[in-house]
Amino acid sequence: MTDAATVGAVLRQALLGAAICGIAHAAAAAQLDLTLSAPWKGWSRPGRTTEIDLHLSADGATPASIEVAAGKLTLRTALDLQPGRVARLQIAVPAAERIEVRAAAPGAAAVQRDLGIAPSESPLLGVALADGEVVELAGFHALALAADDLPRHAPAYASIDALIVDATTLGRLDQRQLAALLTHAARCGRIVVVGAEAPVRRLLDGAGGCGDRALMVAGSPADARVLLERSLAEPLAAPIDAAGIGAPARPAPLLWNRVAMVLAAGLTAIALVVVLASSLPALLATSALATVAVAVWLHAIDPCSQLLVWSEGQAGARVARYQAWQRIQGVARTRVRVAVPPQLADSARPCDATLAMRLDVDPGAQRVSFAEFDTRLFGQARLCYAGSFPTGRAPEVRLRADGGLEVRNAGTSAWPPGRLLARGRAHDLPALSAGAQAVIAPGTGRPIDDDGARVAAARAAADAATALWALDLGGVAGAPAASRGWLAVSTALR
Amino acid sequence: MSRLVVDRSAAASGLVIAAAAAAWWLGATRLALENGTDAARSASGALQALSLVRAIAVALTAPRLAALRGSLGGVAAAIGSIVPSWPIVALAWTASRESPLTVIGAEAALVAVGAALAGIGAVLRRVTGRSDVALGAATGVGVAAAAASWFALVGG
Repeated sequence: MTDAATVGAVLRQALLGAAICGIAHAAAAAQLDLTLSAPWKGWSRPGRTTEIDLHLSADGATPASIEVAAGKLTLRTALDLQPGRVARLQIAVPAAERIEVRAAAPGAAAVQRDLGIAPSESPLLGVALADGEVVELAGFHALALAADDLPRHAPAYASIDALIVDATTLGRLDQRQLAALLTHAARCGRIVVVGAEAPVRRLLDGAGGCGDRALMVAGSPADARVLLERSLAEPLAAPIDAAGIGAPARPAPLLWNRVAMVLAAGLTAIALVVVLASSLPALLATSALATVAVAVWLHAIDPCSQLLVWSEGQAGARVARYQAWQRIQGVARTRVRVAVPPQLADSARPCDATLAMRLDVDPGAQRVSFAEFDTRLFGQARLCYAGSFPTGRAPEVRLRADGGLEVRNAGTSAWPPGRLLARGRAHDLPALSAGAQAVIAPGTGRPIDDDGARVAAARAAADAATALWALDLGGVAGAPAASRGWLAVSTALR
Repeated sequence: MSRLVVDRSAAASGLVIAAAAAAWWLGATRLALENGTDAARSASGALQALSLVRAIAVALTAPRLAALRGSLGGVAAAIGSIVPSWPIVALAWTASRESPLTVIGAEAALVAVGAALAGIGAVLRRVTGRSDVALGAATGVGVAAAAASWFALVGG
């Protein structure tokens, strides 16, 4: 009896201890709190890009992982949370009708929130006026916005079709919002700034793309509406797509050639066995060996990758807009992880929305660092990028009486050798220092016969000349060896 | 030792099938790459075509050779028709979206059908006792099997 009582007491103590440990452990596990919001009051256009704004906090210090699912795209990032501090993260995502966000931490219950994006069939007009006034534009769905409703990633501006913003609201934007707005302006986004004083005008001067026709300044909301109506009546040059680039955007036949050679070698070995020896084991062994050799070879070679960048601007503009495509051609049925160049990462997205892809987001820089997806032999996966970069190229081209061309560098920096496309011909453009000029003799032009010149000529106006330079992509971290880029600057032919 | 000899004509036909399929698949893939379309479709097409043509080749050769040389001769002929295409099957599968089990199952089915038809040819050889009658009957069985393969893989 005494022994049984002792055993029972020991058991009760053990159970009590376990219960206390469990409670203590449960008390130590952090509780996560996650809220979501989206710019543009949660509106977007079907098939475009928007942004989600995440607020994540925990009541204890803990690492946390966040996964965002929007259509076939998954974005993943990790954060270190501190008690009492809210981590805020903005991530550009496709404007799927339902975006799922899941946050998890070790030992804590995972939290999931869904965010609905309302797709608008009508074009969207964002109206960000400090006094809350709404400007109506025929055929547009107007959204009254506050400063915090504007996104921090330039690609999210694709959600709207035009924006009216006043100087007061501009002043309330943070650095990232301002940078995104200016990038959108450089990419020919239709923006009207109301009530801009001289300092704001200086900031905006030359910042707009398409010859500054898309970035306008108005004195009042009523003037802004008139300017927008006039601007909408004139189509702006659409950004180039991969099909517009032509041959450079197509995969090089190098992999195909290699596969053909390997296949020919394998079939030749089998043919020799058939001809020289009628042995079934030899035929079986040769065929099996050739098959294994093919499989091993495919896994030994690296996927082919190429980066193409097309940039264009107007003479004298401070910025040029660019479109870039990073194509990865698969060689085996495997999962591939590709580093995204940091200079392009702010706008990284899969070109094909039907390709399931996962993007890893660097929480510090709040931009994509890696892309991961499944590939197969000859499978093409492409990452699309878009943005702008500063440029001061300002060619002036004048037609001489003798039929030649006079070219002057009206910018403030020298430019390297390139080509000048004018009147259907391509001429060699010499390197020129700032202020220098050169004369291109009549009859020295060649037919336009290379890829970049063809694209530039197709996009140029009839009465314009285009200066074309090869882009040096050495500064783009991780750019593949087979990368190519062009900068096309248009100017009136006087 | 003679039982492990593969019929040269069966092996040659297997090689010709492999070479023709390789040429077709590579050409279709090159066109797809030039036009920016999906190369996986031509890979799946090549796999299906290889299964069909080899099934017909096996149906026409295995029972006939088994009627002449016994079941092992028929099986060797079937394998000789099937295995030269393995490298291209591996490459086309890598370029396609087909599951590996589908492809392995198709190869196993080809071998199994070849063995079964070789068995039928050998039975005909024993039952009829005359090689010309057995050959004729085996040819009939082979043509019927080839037709059945066609309808099974392509449809009516």
